Amino acid sequence: MKLHEKILTHYLSCTSPVDKEGYLYKKKERNATYQRRWCVLKANLLFYQERPGDRHLLGVIVLERCAVRRAESDAQFAFSLVFGPGLKTYRFAAVDRQTQESWVKALLSASHCYLSLLVRDLGRQYEEAKQQKGSGESRSSISPLKPSTYSFLFTAQGPTTAAVVREGRSNSDSTVLQAPPKPTKVVAKKSPKLWHRRNAYVTPLNGPAPLYGEWPLVGFDPLEDFRKLHDYYGQEVKKAREEWLRSRQTEEERSDEDLIDLG
Amino acid sequence: MRFNEKELVSLSRQPSEMAAELGMKGPKKGDVVKKRLVKLVVNFLFYFRTDEEEPIGALLLEQCRVEREDSQTFSIAFLDEAERKYLFECDSEEQCGEWVDSIIKASYEFMRKNLIFYRTEIHRLTGKDPLEQYGISDETRFQVSNGLQLMPRDTSSL
Repeated sequence: MKLHEKILTHYLSCTSPVDKEGYLYKKKERNATYQRRWCVLKANLLFYQERPGDRHLLGVIVLERCAVRRAESDAQFAFSLVFGPGLKTYRFAAVDRQTQESWVKALLSASHCYLSLLVRDLGRQYEEAKQQKGSGESRSSISPLKPSTYSFLFTAQGPTTAAVVREGRSNSDSTVLQAPPKPTKVVAKKSPKLWHRRNAYVTPLNGPAPLYGEWPLVGFDPLEDFRKLHDYYGQEVKKAREEWLRSRQTEEERSDEDLIDLG
Repeated sequence: MRFNEKELVSLSRQPSEMAAELGMKGPKKGDVVKKRLVKLVVNFLFYFRTDEEEPIGALLLEQCRVEREDSQTFSIAFLDEAERKYLFECDSEEQCGEWVDSIIKASYEFMRKNLIFYRTEIHRLTGKDPLEQYGISDETRFQVSNGLQLMPRDTSSL
């Protein structure tokens, strides 16, 4: 499959800000050694090259449908991107706990799917806040979301087409944000000639996807369970934080040694 | 440049509401219209030969200009090269409009801007930062950058 690389590299170098960048050690699949790479995270794409400012990009990883895992058994301050059964696992290592945690956190919120859920959630909160404000309520209108009372409006709220078209016409970042106008109920319309439900739909490459122990959220309805999704990923972050705090306390006791065995 | 091809192909097989057979023409002189299954998944536009399982190619829908060319045709231009456009022929005006709308909304940058807008507005209306409860307030990707003016624009004239 051809990935139009120029589009990606152009996006990387355009004016929108980078989400995170820095050196990481990336494990080479073949000989299990780690190589230092300059990594740049932008949107749901993780680029890597030898040095910052290198014109030649070594590669890119599209960060969709992957889990971010801390993997201490591999190397210290290691983490991995796990794409699942039959697919790759990318392994990285940072130079310290802070860097590791920072990257794990950034990668956890990098996917398009995650952002999509977040935007929908916030859109709903925004509409609620507006209504509350409009009805003249004096107390704070946004109550803390509790899992038991969490409900998710299914209306797909978003900008109407006209505003969207204008937004889309700018090639570079527009400097004025537009308010999404009154939300319209978007009914999922099927195009008149919908292509036969054959190949491009969910047809696993190697037979039906087996129930994979590490993928507890497979099959869940993202629209209803964003809270669950957040909690699930939040566990990793919480764990990382706790361990980091603990490790800081024991730092004095640790002996000086090479953090990573570079063979 | 290396990329996670197998994983991207796997992504292209995910269900999508925007998947249809369209007439697709590349941006180069001499490119002709070909029937392709075009499928929008996250911020990628995949295109397949009909009945093939692996896409021919994937286009990242960022930094691109999507425009209506006529009632049933839309175009996508990349790399600030306004003249080099991919053309897509739809079966109806309605379908064409749906595609333009969907592609624009699929862009990560577009979604990010909406998020920042909502975040700012919710904070203004309620005094609370909605990202705090998710522990992501400090993430760079959700920050309001200095250059942005957060003013709702009157779109009633559109």
